[in-house]
Amino acid sequence: MEGKIIVVTSGKGGVGKTTATACIGAAMAMQGKQVVVIDMDIGLRNLDVVMGLENRIVFNIVDVVKGRCKIKQAAIKDRRIDNLFLIPASQSDNKDSLTPEDIIRLSKSLRGRFDYIFMDCPAGIERGFENAVAAADEALVVCTPEVSSIRDADRIIGLLYAKSITPKLIVNRIVPEMVARGDMLSHEDVVEVLSIDLIGLVKMDDKVVVATNTGLPLVLQKDSEAGNAFHRIAQRLNGQPNLPIENSDNGKGFWRSLGRKLRRRN
Amino acid sequence: MFKDLFGNFFGRQGSREVAKKRLKFALVYDKLEVSDDLLNDLQRDVVEVISKYFEVDTSAMKLDIKRSDDLSALVLNTPILSAKRR
Repeated sequence: MEGKIIVVTSGKGGVGKTTATACIGAAMAMQGKQVVVIDMDIGLRNLDVVMGLENRIVFNIVDVVKGRCKIKQAAIKDRRIDNLFLIPASQSDNKDSLTPEDIIRLSKSLRGRFDYIFMDCPAGIERGFENAVAAADEALVVCTPEVSSIRDADRIIGLLYAKSITPKLIVNRIVPEMVARGDMLSHEDVVEVLSIDLIGLVKMDDKVVVATNTGLPLVLQKDSEAGNAFHRIAQRLNGQPNLPIENSDNGKGFWRSLGRKLRRRN
Repeated sequence: MFKDLFGNFFGRQGSREVAKKRLKFALVYDKLEVSDDLLNDLQRDVVEVISKYFEVDTSAMKLDIKRSDDLSALVLNTPILSAKRR
């Protein structure tokens, strides 16, 4: 087995990185892949509560790196979704407890054990970011249709390019009505400004808040639009790159963006 | 699209367009910003190249970025002590 390491990042905090990591990881596991999601936000752990696994933590990522436990002991198995594991962050250490070299060393054994390794990157561009991207094969940049988020995404994209990683974009929390009214940037606008490939579009969905409140996986709810969007992202990552991106404004936007994509290819 | 036209017809520009314009400007401007480290590295390399042709006073050399509203310029000032004969 030679697993793939995918880092989920954004620059700005609060745009939905952790939710995206939890959902895409879970959706990928539901496709039958061995998946581990790792919380790289040392000192500010959150992926565990979002996934509803907070009361099962024994060891954490720093314990694994420092050799205090085996990967198998730190990886918490999700009992609702087969093949899904979480390695939580440490709450008592800080970002300097790990180095990029530590993560590169750890990545070898992770790749041997899992098909997909998702790293939930902390906000910012400092050590935590460096650690999370150190061993990454691919990167997903999450942004919301707001100027501050997009500007930070642009900065992160530049840093990823410098590491020879070509990231893909997830536009999160789109409100189609506001886009139609001309009061919110559309995903086309965001793609135009950032000029990178889009891999997913996630509409604003109240069910995300409910899922986080309860710790129940969003991707298990069949009627959640955001949940379905994350399923599609997982499918696109997992060997179906041409699966259409569910669009945010009733088909029109999608055909337009497809048209633009084709034009760019030629 | 129809709504966009409609909005413009009544002279109302959606905040979406404003956001897009401001963003594009900010991103261009962000990329003109140069870190001190980069400037120092550049100065070191420039000194190396110039030293092949001129004897220069490296301590008095100044490398700077001058910025005005519509353009950025890299300005290098260096006293030449002598030209190297070859």
